[in-house]
Amino acid sequence: MEIDVRKKKADHRLLDGERKTAYLCLIPSCIGLIFLTYVPLITVLILSFFNWKGVGTLQWVGLTNYVRLFTKDPYFIDAIKVTVYFSVLAVFGSILYSFAIALLLNQKIPARGFFRAIFYLPYVLPAMAVYLGWSWLYESNWGLFNYILSFLGIGKVKFIGSPTWVVPSLALIAVWLSGNLIVIFLAGLQNVPRVYHEAAEMDGASGWQRFRYITIPCMTPIIFYNLLMSLITNMQVVTPALALTQGGPGNSSRFISYVMYTYAFKDAKLSYACAISFIFFLIIAVFTIILFVTSGRWVFYQGGND
Amino acid sequence: MKTNKLFFALLIAVLLISVAASIVAAAEPVEITYSYWGTPDEAASVQAVADRFNAEHPEIVVKVMAIPNEEYVTKLNTMATANELPDCGIMNEAGVLDFAEKGLLADVSDMYAGADSMPLDSITFKKDGKPVAYSAANEILILYYNTDMFDAAGLPYPSATEPMTWDEFVATAKKLTLDKNGKNADDPEFDAENIVQYGAVVDNWTWQLEVWALSNGGSWFNADGTEVTINSPEAIESIQKVADLYLVDKVMPYNAGLEDNGIQRSIVSGTVAMATGGTWNVGTSLPGSVKYSVAPLPVMKKEVTICTGGPQVIFSQSKHQAEAMEFIKWYTKEENSWDNLIATGIWMPILEKYYTDEALTKKWIDNPNFPKYEDYKAAVVDYAMNYAVSTSWYYTPHTNEFIEYLRSILGPVWDGTQTAEEAINGGYDYLSSILAGE
Repeated sequence: MEIDVRKKKADHRLLDGERKTAYLCLIPSCIGLIFLTYVPLITVLILSFFNWKGVGTLQWVGLTNYVRLFTKDPYFIDAIKVTVYFSVLAVFGSILYSFAIALLLNQKIPARGFFRAIFYLPYVLPAMAVYLGWSWLYESNWGLFNYILSFLGIGKVKFIGSPTWVVPSLALIAVWLSGNLIVIFLAGLQNVPRVYHEAAEMDGASGWQRFRYITIPCMTPIIFYNLLMSLITNMQVVTPALALTQGGPGNSSRFISYVMYTYAFKDAKLSYACAISFIFFLIIAVFTIILFVTSGRWVFYQGGND
Repeated sequence: MKTNKLFFALLIAVLLISVAASIVAAAEPVEITYSYWGTPDEAASVQAVADRFNAEHPEIVVKVMAIPNEEYVTKLNTMATANELPDCGIMNEAGVLDFAEKGLLADVSDMYAGADSMPLDSITFKKDGKPVAYSAANEILILYYNTDMFDAAGLPYPSATEPMTWDEFVATAKKLTLDKNGKNADDPEFDAENIVQYGAVVDNWTWQLEVWALSNGGSWFNADGTEVTINSPEAIESIQKVADLYLVDKVMPYNAGLEDNGIQRSIVSGTVAMATGGTWNVGTSLPGSVKYSVAPLPVMKKEVTICTGGPQVIFSQSKHQAEAMEFIKWYTKEENSWDNLIATGIWMPILEKYYTDEALTKKWIDNPNFPKYEDYKAAVVDYAMNYAVSTSWYYTPHTNEFIEYLRSILGPVWDGTQTAEEAINGGYDYLSSILAGE
């Protein structure tokens, strides 16, 4: 009896201590979240109601920036379309690609570690070098891809020089760069319980059936996570426009982030760029919410509801 | 009484110490930052020049801050917002008048007070007619050509004194455009799908297109830069003529006009016989590439070229403007930037005397870094003196935005989905509103 009481007390103290440690450990990330995310977010919103060119005084203009954005801006509407188009291609492309590669790398193939490194490598290469390399492959007149095409007797394709091909071409680079998704998929695949597979095998399920009814359902949380991360990353795409296309040809690769960047830093129309970034934040939020809402229907959590 | 004395002595001691401290502080050199666009290597050579200044001026220490060229405007804009601009630096041409409008540039009007030669008027930035900055270098657009390709085709070199007409230029380019069977663009069996050597590149990097409007008797702006005139038939036709080099004449490789590398992808890469570009290429991209020489730009209707050059400015946020002025004055003297910038062909001098006094011209260009003396003298030195007019950013504001939008509407012109007329007329109102700052 006495021992029991003492043990309970000790438990309580332990819990208290743990709780304290937990809060203590959370402080840095809370501070980070507040000062690096929420404060800037609110500042951006407030600034968007002013006219401010980086120096000098702020001038209250109300909703003028937002009105201009949707009525007069020559880039913004196109930019939304292009960004969504790119994201759809890049997100689905990279999910399919990295899931397929992860499945292959999960097999017992020779030199598996080597191949895993090979497919992960693009993700850690410096972005500028990657885009420069691809620009040589894609070059409209002398590039390697066009050399191969002309060798095969097919006419030249302008790739990033063509309004039709520029977004698919850039999406292909994004897919190729998605090595981080492969790693996450691989980790997920290794967690699919072997017992399910063994049981199904004994019941005579084919390889496809096991993949369709065991692997895929067990992987849905991972697929969801990758989908979300990939969506957010690809919606914010800006590097290819900065490195390769300057938003062109015409407006065909003028992503929202790029429009925002040029207004803010090239033209020094900071408050206007703030309005863009706030709308942009809403757009990403809408897509994220859609993804979360629909996820209930297809994501399967083994742990049940907790 | 005793405490009073002690107090008095203490007070004097404090006073003496503070006076001594301020004397020491005054002897401590003032540190100023000079920003420059370029690679770390280039910055090192600029720092070497600055170190010579530092040695001559013990009271000032100049430190060079290198910013990559393509990020220069963005970086300066950001630093301006943070009130952390360097003391002085070279400034991107397209941003000079915007910076002047915001009061970020200090007055440099007495920079050349008492000098024996003034900078050329065409490279003086003016706001409301008053000088706000002077270019540190003079650069004009010219025609470069690969001499080996002309020799192989058995064609005479373009004249350095008599510019080609546009039609002659296209005709020459056709003779120099070869397919994989060695047939040129004049041959009826010419295979336009398999071209291995192109005759010409007219750089369609947006700001450079202004020269063709002028050459065709038009302009992008009226004389005082208050009205956009790029929709004049002459200006529109000039853009179409450049686009047609690819679309109709088949003498130019396709380019969407999105990269500032006309000379690199033509003359330097050895795939194109003639290309237009800025004179800085003589010192930056061309050394050691191919055998080349220079000629004036072909002429649509009028002999003309445009000149430009980043100015040295002092930023008004600086706390040491006098020292910064001292350095800029020193640095812009030709003899101080001679070895690494002028004699290498990267910068052309800004003072008139180098163009008018042949002894000085010889001193400048009679060295192996330059193409043949007679060619460069006629096609660059004399041409700059007689036919160069200011690029419009010397007198129009909001240039970055203007160029960015113009580039976006010209995209469909280069691949032929729109004519220049459709593109320019479609974008004219917005271009005007950018100039007006709306």
